[in-house]
Amino acid sequence: MEEKGSMVKKGWWLILLLILFLVAPYFMSEFYLSILCEALVMSMLALSFNLLFGYMGQLSFGQAAFYGLSGYTVAMLVTKVHFNFWLSIIAGVLVASIIGAIVGYFCVRLRGIYFAVLTLAFGQLLFVIIYKWHNFTGGDDGIQGVFPPEFLKSPTTYYYFLLFVFIASTYVLWRIIRSPFGQTLKSMRENSERTEFLGINIARYQLIAFVIAAAFAGLAGAIWVPFYRSVAPFYLMWIKSGEPVMAAILGGPSLFFGPVLGMFIMTFFHAWVLGFTIYWPVVMGALILLIIFFLPGGILGFAEEKWQQRKESKRE
Amino acid sequence: MSFDVLFNQFMSGIARAALLFLVASGLSLTFGVLRVLNFAHGSLYMLGAFLSYTIWKFILMPVLGFYIAAIITAIILGLIGIVIEFFLLRRLYARGWPEQLLATYAVILIITDIVKYGWGGEFLSIPRPKPFTGAVFLFGFPFPSYNFFIILLGLALVVFLWWLIFRTRFGDIIRAAAHDREMVSALGIPIPWLFTWIFVLGAMIAGLSGAVTAPFGSVALGMDIEIIVECFAVVVIGGMGSLPGTLLGSFIVGEVYAFGIMFKPELALAFIFIVMAVVLIVRPWGIFGRPER
Repeated sequence: MEEKGSMVKKGWWLILLLILFLVAPYFMSEFYLSILCEALVMSMLALSFNLLFGYMGQLSFGQAAFYGLSGYTVAMLVTKVHFNFWLSIIAGVLVASIIGAIVGYFCVRLRGIYFAVLTLAFGQLLFVIIYKWHNFTGGDDGIQGVFPPEFLKSPTTYYYFLLFVFIASTYVLWRIIRSPFGQTLKSMRENSERTEFLGINIARYQLIAFVIAAAFAGLAGAIWVPFYRSVAPFYLMWIKSGEPVMAAILGGPSLFFGPVLGMFIMTFFHAWVLGFTIYWPVVMGALILLIIFFLPGGILGFAEEKWQQRKESKRE
Repeated sequence: MSFDVLFNQFMSGIARAALLFLVASGLSLTFGVLRVLNFAHGSLYMLGAFLSYTIWKFILMPVLGFYIAAIITAIILGLIGIVIEFFLLRRLYARGWPEQLLATYAVILIITDIVKYGWGGEFLSIPRPKPFTGAVFLFGFPFPSYNFFIILLGLALVVFLWWLIFRTRFGDIIRAAAHDREMVSALGIPIPWLFTWIFVLGAMIAGLSGAVTAPFGSVALGMDIEIIVECFAVVVIGGMGSLPGTLLGSFIVGEVYAFGIMFKPELALAFIFIVMAVVLIVRPWGIFGRPER
């Protein structure tokens, strides 16, 4: 019951945010609108990552591989065989899920740091295949000229399309986490031995979660590439995979919207920093260290802790 | 396919294995004792390669210049190792491994930009040092004698690490600490001090291996991630934190790569991962690894 009460209380700011997002194109420059689009798409990637990290307790360092793989699928279908746009997106998600199932099959056998290393290695493998398979994927040239259908060509309409997909997939992920399946994932994070004794096949549950995460990462890549009009191998690279990791740590992995907040801050900060220096990685590196040392739990985690303390001191 | 071609390929696989062992042994040693997987190990290797180039250019000695540059590089990397361990990792041992991983990831980003700023994006290379300039003929095929230098160096490192870990008091402490850190600490051995030295040793090996790759002509941005991914394959196959495992893993990865290139160059890396996948199905903790607690 308490949860329902807090939902109603939280409802007003969700509506406020939604209104803000709906009117954003009317007072944003085209440049910042495209940054906003990127933030939305990358937030989907971060949410998919956090299903594994925040809820299942496994850190994937190869999440961008599914993002890029799906982007490549869409780009190749649209430019080479002039496939239907919507079906291309579905195909992208499917490819990401299938490859996610194959990679996940091996990865879910491992825990902790071993899992992180293996996802990183598989991610880099996929990156290298795309990068070196020049006559099929275009190698380091990438693929250009990936256009959405006519009615989605303006940035504003595409923004609304992205916003819709973002809200829909956020809702679905939210429901997944709230479902018995999501609770099982959380119990595996807390104590995998006990969960196993309850008769739950951990590897199977983790594999399902891995495929779901790959699918959402794939959806993010599939809808981003037609907006950006091109795709390049670095979309699959581990530097890209590091972004959702950092967003989750920055915003707070223990809260559902933590990674989204982290990704929004990072994306806009990135756009701002690029205005006066090309040395973004060093800024990002310094930022990571600052968060680790001074903001354990992330921004939202920190805020929640303070809020809890206040509530407790009031009760006394 | 005749025997001599296969033998030649086998030998270049051994040379690659030796290089992989040079880099992966430091990674494995650090992980075995500190239980911290240093993502930035490949970046230390890359920094070593760039630094040795600059030092080599600076000292300008015809024969010895290369070797002196390599040694100075190792020492500088050791100092950098002290800084990273003391100011970064030491504060994170009590925290979870995701934070440690992310901290070393931050170090990668920082070192990448330092290299980009200091040396730019171009390829650099040092000519092969004497007496390893020519080629040796194996069954009529030319085989670069510099590869023999790498193989010898790899073997020397195997012997050195074996001696250090199994034949010295320091090695006793290392093995004990890898087994039960608290007990070693209770016996009055300063664990933080031990960790610093192990990390410095790992960083020095990384720097040295970076320096000796410079004559291969592949000193460039991106060499860090290239090597670290292969090193991950090495330690996953051999077992993280195990020295014999790292040796065997290097051998497997080196040979699979060498024969993979002969078979289909674009997929050489993929073959490594297929082997890795097979090992993971049979033994998820690697051939010589111990199951995690």
